[in-house]
Amino acid sequence: MKVSLNLAQYYSNVDLKSIPADELVKRVGAQLGAVEEAIDWGKRYDGIYVAKVVSCQPHPDSDHMHVCMVDDGGVVTDVDRNADGLVQVVCGAPNVAEGQIVAWLSPGCTVPETADQTEPFVLGSRQLRGVTSNGMIGSARELGLADEHEGILILSVDQFESVEEAARLMHPGTPFKQLLGLDDLIIDCENKMFTHRPDCFGNLGVARELAGISGLKFVSPDWYLQPLEVATNDNGINLQIKNDIPKLVPRFMAQSVSGVKVMPGPLWQQASLSRVGIRPINNLVDWSNYYMHLTGQPTHAFDYDKLLKVGGGDSVTLGPRLAKEGEQLKLLGGKVINLDPADMVICANDVPVGLAGVMGGADTEVDESTTRIVIECATFDMYTIRRSSMRHGLFTDAVTRYNKGQSPWQNPIVLAKLVSDIVAQTGGQTGACHDFKADDLKTNQPIRLSPDFINQRLGSSLNIDELHELLVRVEMTVEKVYDDLSVTAPWWRMDIEIPEDIVEEVGRLYGFDKLPVVLPRRSAKAADRDLLQDAKSLVRGSLAKAGANEVLTYSFVHGDLITKAGQDTKEAYQLRNALSPELQYYRLTLTPSLVAQMHPNLKAGYDQFALFEINKTHVKMHGLNDENVPAELNMIALCYVAGEKTAKQQPGAAFYHARRLLDQLAHGFGLTLRYEPLPNDPPYQVCKPFDWQRSALVYDDASGEFIGQIGEYTANLRRNFKLPPHSAGFEISLEALAKCRRALPYRSASRFPSTTQDITLEADSTKTHGEILASLRRAAADQSDYQIDIEPLSSFRPDTPDKVRHSFRLVVGHPQHTLKTEEANQLLSRIESAVGGDCGATRI
Amino acid sequence: MDKIQATKQLLLERLASLDAPKSILRAPELKALFDELSKLPSEQRGELGRAVNLLRQELEQAAAEREGQAETLPPIDVTAPFDINALRPSLLPADQGSIHPLMAELEYILDIFYRMGFTAIESRQIDDDYHMFESLNFPAGHPARDDYDTFMTEEGLIAPAHTSTMQNRVLKMLKTNLTNGEPIAAVIPGRVFRNEDVDVTHEHTFYQLEGIYVDKGINVGNLVAVLRAFMSEYFGQELKAKLQPFYFPFTEPSFEFAIERPAALRKGDTEADMWLELLGCGMIHPNVLTMAGIDPAVYTGFAWGGGIERLVLMKYGIEDIRHFESAKLSFLRQFA
Repeated sequence: MKVSLNLAQYYSNVDLKSIPADELVKRVGAQLGAVEEAIDWGKRYDGIYVAKVVSCQPHPDSDHMHVCMVDDGGVVTDVDRNADGLVQVVCGAPNVAEGQIVAWLSPGCTVPETADQTEPFVLGSRQLRGVTSNGMIGSARELGLADEHEGILILSVDQFESVEEAARLMHPGTPFKQLLGLDDLIIDCENKMFTHRPDCFGNLGVARELAGISGLKFVSPDWYLQPLEVATNDNGINLQIKNDIPKLVPRFMAQSVSGVKVMPGPLWQQASLSRVGIRPINNLVDWSNYYMHLTGQPTHAFDYDKLLKVGGGDSVTLGPRLAKEGEQLKLLGGKVINLDPADMVICANDVPVGLAGVMGGADTEVDESTTRIVIECATFDMYTIRRSSMRHGLFTDAVTRYNKGQSPWQNPIVLAKLVSDIVAQTGGQTGACHDFKADDLKTNQPIRLSPDFINQRLGSSLNIDELHELLVRVEMTVEKVYDDLSVTAPWWRMDIEIPEDIVEEVGRLYGFDKLPVVLPRRSAKAADRDLLQDAKSLVRGSLAKAGANEVLTYSFVHGDLITKAGQDTKEAYQLRNALSPELQYYRLTLTPSLVAQMHPNLKAGYDQFALFEINKTHVKMHGLNDENVPAELNMIALCYVAGEKTAKQQPGAAFYHARRLLDQLAHGFGLTLRYEPLPNDPPYQVCKPFDWQRSALVYDDASGEFIGQIGEYTANLRRNFKLPPHSAGFEISLEALAKCRRALPYRSASRFPSTTQDITLEADSTKTHGEILASLRRAAADQSDYQIDIEPLSSFRPDTPDKVRHSFRLVVGHPQHTLKTEEANQLLSRIESAVGGDCGATRI
Repeated sequence: MDKIQATKQLLLERLASLDAPKSILRAPELKALFDELSKLPSEQRGELGRAVNLLRQELEQAAAEREGQAETLPPIDVTAPFDINALRPSLLPADQGSIHPLMAELEYILDIFYRMGFTAIESRQIDDDYHMFESLNFPAGHPARDDYDTFMTEEGLIAPAHTSTMQNRVLKMLKTNLTNGEPIAAVIPGRVFRNEDVDVTHEHTFYQLEGIYVDKGINVGNLVAVLRAFMSEYFGQELKAKLQPFYFPFTEPSFEFAIERPAALRKGDTEADMWLELLGCGMIHPNVLTMAGIDPAVYTGFAWGGGIERLVLMKYGIEDIRHFESAKLSFLRQFA
């Protein structure tokens, strides 16, 4: 929203221009909303002066150029002049003539039209076919005022808002920026700041706020507080209105004017519109845009004769309805859209002639031949407008304003002012004013609240009189009722409904930056720690220390990623409005996202690494929780790979590398894990990426709590994600890990030295290492007088087929005495025979 | 025909010993057959052509089968900590390990809030309309509620666009604090999603931290004080702060909170360079408190929410937000 300070001042009862610009901009930022940019507009016109063409001769060497001598009142110093003090300028425009008052752009100044371009055009004194031209005489377009480029801009009295103004300024030497309100401050406020402030999408609304935050009491112009009286009569236009959708269009007004003349609007108005970024078109469109920019209320002018032609018949019934399936509309600019049944359209005799609140139709557009018009001014449902705008990709100034929810009470005011200004300018006869008004239009009710209520929420200490003073500045009706305030917001503030809204107004008008800044007081009670956050922190530290790298990958994945990992997309929550197929599904588990990242890193030259991620997963199979939202699992996944060369140097399956990392992680949580072979084809999505013959389910050994899954990946997955054979990973539950977390195991130091013995047990290869270790532990536990620590050392396949030899290191001690070799040997043979009986392993 | 049979026999035998099974399709014997075929007059090619093609297909299938066998590895003893005939693997070098910079920053931030007396509760990644909109005072038909802005599932579930989706839950969960004379003070970190095209400065997936504080007599001045206290701690220096009025349905009044940009992070001296808009905040809307069963006439509170990415981008001078979710080791190991 670009706000013109000159325009704001023009409609203000208070002096806004005397506030220093930077001070004003700062106040807007602190008390109204963020300022994107504040532009000193007049700067664009530095070096441009009003000048008179004293003589104008054909260029000796050109069939269209003229050599002019201009009088600038002698204000420019650095320029060549003739004996009479005149400056020579070559002009190529066909309309240049002696005696004209023009805008002269002196050498060294920038052409305003190019001011926003990356390389603005700076004028100089240069030769044009052998004749020196000092700067140039500007056209309206070069001056950034209008699109017109028929020739140079010739200044005349009727371009000014008043004859007095013209008389005061239209003489050689006047800086051009003093004309037409060009010496302006344009404050570009971020649109999102005013989401709930439809009034601030009008320059008038912002003017009121500027006054309010500057400590001044604003009074709106009379025409804004009461609709102007507009004389109406039978102007030969047969117009009716009809509203099929009063819920979506609570107010719909239309009025006709006959005998209008379509022409370029006055220059001062074109200049006003240009400054706030609106392109001047013709007087009718310009008036409509001017009041839209001033009040926030869009209007639309139709050509009545075209309405007749399009609608058929000898009268027009204009009004909104929902579009019908299959209907089309050709918009201004020529684009044809297929209407959606959720679009609101304006119809003439049931034929769509405009996309309500978004854009008018091409077939009923006002053009130079138009003499009879119908002006529509209405209130449309903001959300319906927004959806139509998004659906058709049409982002107009009208949409920007309508989708903030304009007040229906503004419709008659803007319509009356617009019609009367058009008639005043072009003449014409005004027809009857048609007004559909829903019975239940909201009116603002008084809100009663105490100064305490306000002060408690702001931390301020304002008394009732100060509060009164603040609120009336922006035209709130405020009464004192005993010790309370009764505040009624004006009709243009549809956003004020509850006492807290008044608190906000007070805070804003007073200045939030003036409130005392005090930390809240609380007891010294410690804040509860979040166990999951703590667990995550521990996981990160532990895995990073083990050389793994934490990654974050998207929660949304392509369906292909899921199926390539052997999982089922039917189990995944699917987005109905994904940005692309890449992001169509919530991932089922973290592993597929990780394995997809291994190949790119291998290709980038990393040969051995592990990536891990801590994040959430969702599987439909887990159903909804007690809040009726999908169960959400907190998971940790890791994927380890080594390239061919590295893998060869470190014999052994990748599984054991992943397991090493997982054991290390578990150790940090004080856990010893138990690994159990996986049953064939388990029904869980988390298991699908893994080759069940080279995978295990993982449990906390002490509590038996299920932790997760570890393993190597299926051949299919490896092929699909270009993983080398030496790859493995795990996906485990963070919650389970956190739940089982316990203090690190500690054994007190024995006063008596212990003995270390390595033993090797040979067993059938059908016996798992786990079974043998468990058997060994049981046997050791039976020797309860002794402290026995068992550490697996290695496993070897001897020459005997079907046998495996497992080596363990036993550290044996006794709490009361030093073990003699004999005693230790006896102990070991007891253990050995127990294991032999238990699982048939024999000591070698 | 005999020749084809013989070639087939020969090639299948050779296939069994090849490291790259597919290379059998480039065997000179097979090529010779095709060459022979091309020399025949076209009317005589029929039968032999079919046979040669069949042979090629058979070899192709056999090669694929062998490839599959080669890929599927034999079972292992998963109960063991090491492979047979192999040492127990060592961990990866500790100096290569790294924590994701976003997560490291988040932990650092949480630690400050812990010290300030805030508990932490993580946000959800899939939620429903009630928590995301209804309980946050979004009016029916609000733009955020349609799917131009917010990701939604086929079931109508929502990928939260902000961590405020947890406000109602956390207020309810910690409501007993108030009756015990303690404030509700919580921060809510989490991953959020926005229907936005990705570029150097925009991500559809990012991290936010929400905060809420509710007690008797909590006011706007308290809000500023808490946020400023955090910023001073985080940046390690006293910084000016300012509030800019804003609009959110779930706070009233609402603000954007900006701090004076630390000199080290300043690029120029315009007003925009001076300030850093860090988060959105405001006094919790009375309707939001009411929906959580807290009486807004007795208790007031404030809430805020801001992104984590920007802090990290600034801290390290990271040029592209997309690095965060890229899983590139070249990026990650810089934080080792």
